[in-house]
Amino acid sequence: MEKKQMTEKESLAIITDMVNKVKSHYHENGSYLILWGSVITFCSLMSAAQAFWNFSIGFNIWLLTFLAVAPHIWLITKENKRKTVKTHAGSAIDVIWLVYIVTIIGIILYWNVTYHISPRILADNGIELLSRNISSGELKPFKLFAPSFTSIFLLAYGFPTLATGLITRYHPFITGAIIIYVCFAVSLFTEFKSDMLLSALSAVSGWLIPGWMLRKKYLHQLKQADV
Amino acid sequence: MFKDLNPILHSQLRLAVMSLLISVKEAEFTFLREKTKSTAGNLSVQVQKLKDAGYIEVEKRFKDNYPQTLCRITAKGIQAFDDYVKALQGYLGK
Repeated sequence: MEKKQMTEKESLAIITDMVNKVKSHYHENGSYLILWGSVITFCSLMSAAQAFWNFSIGFNIWLLTFLAVAPHIWLITKENKRKTVKTHAGSAIDVIWLVYIVTIIGIILYWNVTYHISPRILADNGIELLSRNISSGELKPFKLFAPSFTSIFLLAYGFPTLATGLITRYHPFITGAIIIYVCFAVSLFTEFKSDMLLSALSAVSGWLIPGWMLRKKYLHQLKQADV
Repeated sequence: MFKDLNPILHSQLRLAVMSLLISVKEAEFTFLREKTKSTAGNLSVQVQKLKDAGYIEVEKRFKDNYPQTLCRITAKGIQAFDDYVKALQGYLGK
């Protein structure tokens, strides 16, 4: 830029030009969304398949989500090296996804801890829960569990997706979040097998598709920057 | 009666830097150079002037063993930019 006396119109043109340059600068390449969208879709479909065809792969498929943390950290490191600017919206979205991760860990803890602790707490109060087989009349100890547990996860999936969509005004996220909330509502009335299919549908529509669309947009911007 | 335009902001490169920084939380020096299409030397001088005026904060640190300069707009800078835009609107509306 040259050093010269500016007119008021030129000043306004510079401000507009720079603000537009920030708006069009690429921020998100969709890599995390593709990673987590793929992992959750795969785990959900595998769980559904095991329930439908009554077989077991010998381990809990959802353990894959812990393995996905390593590539996630690698992606974060790579992304931080690439980023030369931090926007207010980007920082807010980072916080939302961090809170979401804490929430998911909290839900998993709640599920595992209460399942084992509840019978002990009831026993301390002199109560034992029993279940009775309707046809044989046999009584067995009954452990309390959270019914339709997938619904709670679906509700959690919807929160960061909708928040990101509303902040960025990126319609694929908003559409994805609406589909997730519909899946949540449906899952309240369905059994585990169907819940897993709804979970896969949510991961595809809320994360995988918006992730691919962002990736496509990002690669297009990179290509244009090279021209 | 129209307000005088702030001489610190009424310069092409300094105004461009402030316009970029007002839209973001923080930006690297390389980002500012890329978007303003300026030379490192000239940008460095203008960034220093904005820093001296208290309009921006400059933080120097290392990222992967390479020096990194981060720039952030201050509350004083936001106020000055706001006043400048208002004054500009006054001129353009006359």
